[in-house]
Order: sequence, then structure tokens, then C-alpha cells
Amino acid sequence: MRKTLGLTTAVLLGLGLPVQANDAPVALIIAQGGLGDGSWNDTAYAGFQAGLAETGLDGKPIESNDVAAQGEEIMRRAADAGFGLVISLEWIHGEPMEMLAPDYPDTDWVIMNQTRQGANVASVVFGEHEGSYLAGALAAQVTTDTSIPGINADPVIGVIGGVKSPGIDKFISGFIEGAKAINPDVEVKVAYAETFGDPAKGEQMAQAMFDEGADIVYQVAGGTGIGIINAAKASGHYAIGVDTDQDGIAPGSVLTSMVKRVDVAVAGILRDYKADKFPGGTEMVFGLAQNGVGLSPMTHTKDIIPAAYLERVEALKADIISGKITVWDVSTQGYPDFFN
Amino acid sequence: MADIRFAAMLASLRALLVPFAVALILAGIVLIVIGENPLAIFGLLAEESFGSARRIASTLSSATPLLFTAVATAICFRAGVFNVGVEGAFLVGGLAAVFVAFALPAGLGITLIPLALVAAMAAGAIWLWFPGWLLARFEVDEVVSTLMLNFIAAAITGYLVNGPLLSASAGNNMTPAIHDAAHLPRLMPPSTLHAGFLIGIAVMVLYGLWCRYTPAGVEGGLVGLNRRFARAMGISVSGTMITVMCLSGAIAGLGGASHGLGQLFRFSDAFSPGYGFTGMAVALLGRNHPVGMIVGAVLFGALASAGTTIQLFSSVPLDLVDIIQGLVMIFAVMELALPRLRRRRHA
Repeated sequence: MRKTLGLTTAVLLGLGLPVQANDAPVALIIAQGGLGDGSWNDTAYAGFQAGLAETGLDGKPIESNDVAAQGEEIMRRAADAGFGLVISLEWIHGEPMEMLAPDYPDTDWVIMNQTRQGANVASVVFGEHEGSYLAGALAAQVTTDTSIPGINADPVIGVIGGVKSPGIDKFISGFIEGAKAINPDVEVKVAYAETFGDPAKGEQMAQAMFDEGADIVYQVAGGTGIGIINAAKASGHYAIGVDTDQDGIAPGSVLTSMVKRVDVAVAGILRDYKADKFPGGTEMVFGLAQNGVGLSPMTHTKDIIPAAYLERVEALKADIISGKITVWDVSTQGYPDFFN
Repeated sequence: MADIRFAAMLASLRALLVPFAVALILAGIVLIVIGENPLAIFGLLAEESFGSARRIASTLSSATPLLFTAVATAICFRAGVFNVGVEGAFLVGGLAAVFVAFALPAGLGITLIPLALVAAMAAGAIWLWFPGWLLARFEVDEVVSTLMLNFIAAAITGYLVNGPLLSASAGNNMTPAIHDAAHLPRLMPPSTLHAGFLIGIAVMVLYGLWCRYTPAGVEGGLVGLNRRFARAMGISVSGTMITVMCLSGAIAGLGGASHGLGQLFRFSDAFSPGYGFTGMAVALLGRNHPVGMIVGAVLFGALASAGTTIQLFSSVPLDLVDIIQGLVMIFAVMELALPRLRRRRHA
């Protein structure tokens, strides 16, 4: 494949045509956890492969045992070797990418979940507030329906964040807004674990919320959230997963998951790059309209949730996409009145 | 005397290169089985490791943490103390240095660097003093205690960067960035090779001198050769054990500081991918000899650096690197055992 590419390049050069930057190969740097994580990396890689197949581009995934320390060397090596587009899935690579991108004006750079400067850097952010809105709307409908096992009559739901920060409150605020849109009287308990890596603490906190009458708790706490899902399973209530489809972690105990479609984002970027429409210097928002976020297919719970609730959620989704509803984004708008 | 030293160096290099050669041959067979051309892949590995000044710098950058962790391991191994806790001391020292370098006022300027280095060495030394004391005082097995301490170090540092020391602006588990003044300078920009490499080489040299020319260093070697004999000579075996453990911790902590101030500029969840354990392999391969360990660290650094970038030019997965590393370690240990077996047969 590389040989063919070299040949094509040589032919183009021979004819005196300019070499198209958008035919140069592309690289996808895999984040901590590596391929086979069943989550962020694998999802992105699936999108990468789909994008390569669709565009006919040549591309490589790059894994490293030491992805934090090697980031800058990998990125520079890829650019030096003639790769035209480098996408990093690793959060830590944001700073070095911003610093080195000006050295390689002919290479396009993509970073995820943060916004970085540079004419040839595109930042991918997800509309987590929109996806969380749908999760809140679903939870607010389910929480008073006692015909569903494990649900009490109290309009009380909960959400546990990893830490108090605008990035996390973006999820929480969207969740509250969606819940209040269904039932203005719903009470949403909010707590922060102060850690992303403590499942035991997550389990305790979720259990406390269940004891106080909540029957659905949304986890926005990374590894801590595994404990929240465990608590839901142990107590017969429900958790809502985050980032990837976590419904299968405890089948039947995870009501739904708010999924970030990094595969959609990666495939879309490859398409744009190939078509010479790389959105350098911009922040690309993958929200509901771009299918960049959404609820999981609810493989294990769709049969216990009344269809009318899901239809209502679909209607809200359509309204957000059409612009009829605008969901508050804490990360860009600051804190709203309904959530301080 | 000079001849003996030279012979020791040669033995150390041979002990290092033979396992590498055997591992490469076996990895070559694996490559043939998966349908790759081993010569082409090894050629690519060599080119990506040492093919240009930039690639060499990248290799040395990857080797830098291993210089520290190898010496930290060797200083204990040669005294017969099987300390496997270098990884933990590297983490503790790294976090201590990064904390000093972001928490103290930026106005301190370049003095932040010595402060951070001293803090890291102190943290590492205290960290490994404890199992050293347990060993010397109560004969608590150091393999178990230091191994357990690694988990504790990972848990404590992990807790701190996930909670109390978590950067408010980061979407990931990491501390705030250190002040610009605390960055160790880069040696060959834009490569990430930084002054920590020179510190690592200096530590290697000091270690070699310490072993040969200081009473404590010579005593450490004697304790390693034969504890009862050393005791009979009037050497304090327990004192030596505690000394080498503290030194090991200080050096490992210094390595963590070098990595924090020179490479990552923060402490994060993935601060060390196991430098302590790779350093142990380097010490075993280099037979605790400074020259052998420098070569070993560079070879492992090359494998780590080139093993990643060859993926840009081939379809060989990262697993190849893991296979080679694993095989090198197995053959290194086998080589250590072989002379002993031979001796037994003669006896």
C-alpha cells in the first residue's frame, strides 16, 4: 500500500502536478489502555477503519507502552515521515500537539475532548450536555413509574460526578435540564466523588442516594462509576452509564448509557481530510445533530421501558437537532440558574 | 587490576548482548510465522533506533528513566538485597518533585529545580528506608515488602492525582503543570531528550566510583558476596542493608524527578509504564556494571522508541516489542543460572 502511494506520488511529481496533501497517509495515536479496551480506543479505531475503507486512504494505528512520555516523539516522527493527518486519542497529547503543530504546517492535527489553538489543529469536542439531556429526560419519566421493577413513586433521581469542574458539570447540568423538562418537580441529587478512580467510594455514594429515595443514578465519574453501577445492581435500582455503552456491565441494572460516538467523529474527519476540507483551526462539535452523542441502544432494558417514554426522548432529540430546544452548555456559557 | 576491570566489563556486555541476540532470533521466527520479513523489520527497527541524530535522541530520551531505575536496582542487588520496590520510589519521587515544581511560587525561578530534585530524593529514600529497616531489624522479606510498597505507591499517587492534586483545568487525571522555570532544558530540540539524561549518566558514573572507592560501596559488595564473611570482617550487615535501600530510593526518586521535570511536566496516572521493572531487567542484564547498564538501558530505550514508530511504516503490532523484551529477560535470567548449573555438574 505504501509502495503504491509512493508510486502515485512519483507519477504526480513527474507530471508536474502538485502533490495533494489530502492523499498523504494518516495516523491514529491510540490512548492509554491500548487497543482492545472495549471502549474509547476500540470505538475510535472502528471509525478509523471505516473512514479508511470509505476514503481509500492509507493509515496506521500507533500504540505505545509509554504513550504519555512518547507522545511528542511519535507525533513529530509521523509528521517527518510524511503523514498528512495525525489524530491523537490521548488527552495528554493536547499540550505537546499545540506546541509542535506550527513546526509542521503541511500536516493536519486532531485532538479530542479539549480545544487547542493552531491553524492546522482541529479540536473535537462532544455535545455531552445534549446527550445527558436525553438521559435526564428518560430518567425523569421512569423514576415515577412503579410498574417498572426497582422504581419507587418519588420523583427523585441522582447524578455523581468525578470532580466539580466545568467539564463534568456540562454533563450534570444537561442531565438536570432534561429531567426538569419532563417534570419540573423532579429532584436531582448531585454529588461529587472527588475521584475518578475509586469504585468503592462510588458504590457508597450511590447507595446513599438510593437510601434517600433515588432510584436512578447517572455516573459521570470514570472508574468510580463502576461502583455506582455495582450499587445499582446490588440494590435492585438503576445506574446510567457514560462515554461508552456500559449497559452490558450489569445487564438490566444500567438503564441506558450516554455514549460518545468517537467513531463517528474519526470517520468524519477522515472524510473531510480526503475532500480537502480539513477544519483546521476550528473546534468541531459532535452533538446530537452530528450523531456524536446519544443514548445506547438499551439492549437489556428496552423491554422494561414503556415505548411512550422512548418516543418522548426521540421527540426531544428531534427538537434539539432542529434547534427548537437549546441545551445549556456549562463549559461555554457558565452556570445556569437551575444549577449552581 | 585494570585487566580485571576490563574483563568484568566484557563479561557484563556479553551477558547483555547474548540474550538480546537470542531474543531477536526467536522474534524473527515469530515474524516469519505471521508472514513478515524479519530482516526488513529488524532493519526498520535499527533505522528507527539509531538511523539519524533525531532517532538516536529519541532512543536516549526513552532510555533516560531506565538509567536511574537500573542503578537504583543494582545498588541493592549487588549487596544481596532483592529490592523490587524501585517502581514505587520512582512514582513517589516523581510526584514529590512535580509537587514542589508547581506548588512553590514561580518566582523562585531556576532554584525550583534543585529544590524539586532534593524533595524527590528525600521522598524516595524515606520510601525505601522503611522496607530496609524492616529487613535489617526484623528480617522481613524485602521482596514481599517492596513489592507491596509498589502497589501502595501507585495507590497513593493515583489517589492524589485523582483528587486533592487534580488539576482544575484538566479533563484527565493529572496534576497542574509545573512552572516553566522548573523545566529541565532540552539537549537537542525539538527532540524530547533532556538534561535528565546527563544526570542519569552522572549517577551511573558516581555509582561506579562509589562501588569501587568508598568504604560503604566496597562493604555493600562484600555483604552481597557473603553475609557471614562480611559480618566476620566487622561490617554491619544491617547498616549496609539500610544504606543501600535508602540510596536506591534516592536514586529512583531522582529518576522520577527527571521524568517529571524533563519529560512530562506534570504527574499523571500513566507517569511510569513500569520503568522500575524494566530497570530491574537492565540491572540483571548489565550484571550491575555501569557500562553494561548504560548499554542495556539504551537497547531497551531503542526497543521502546522504535517499537512504537515502526508502526508508522509496517503492520507489525506493538506486541513484537513485548515479545522481544520478555524473551530478553528470560534469557538474561537463564544466563545467570547457567554458570551455576555448570559448576554444580563439575562438583
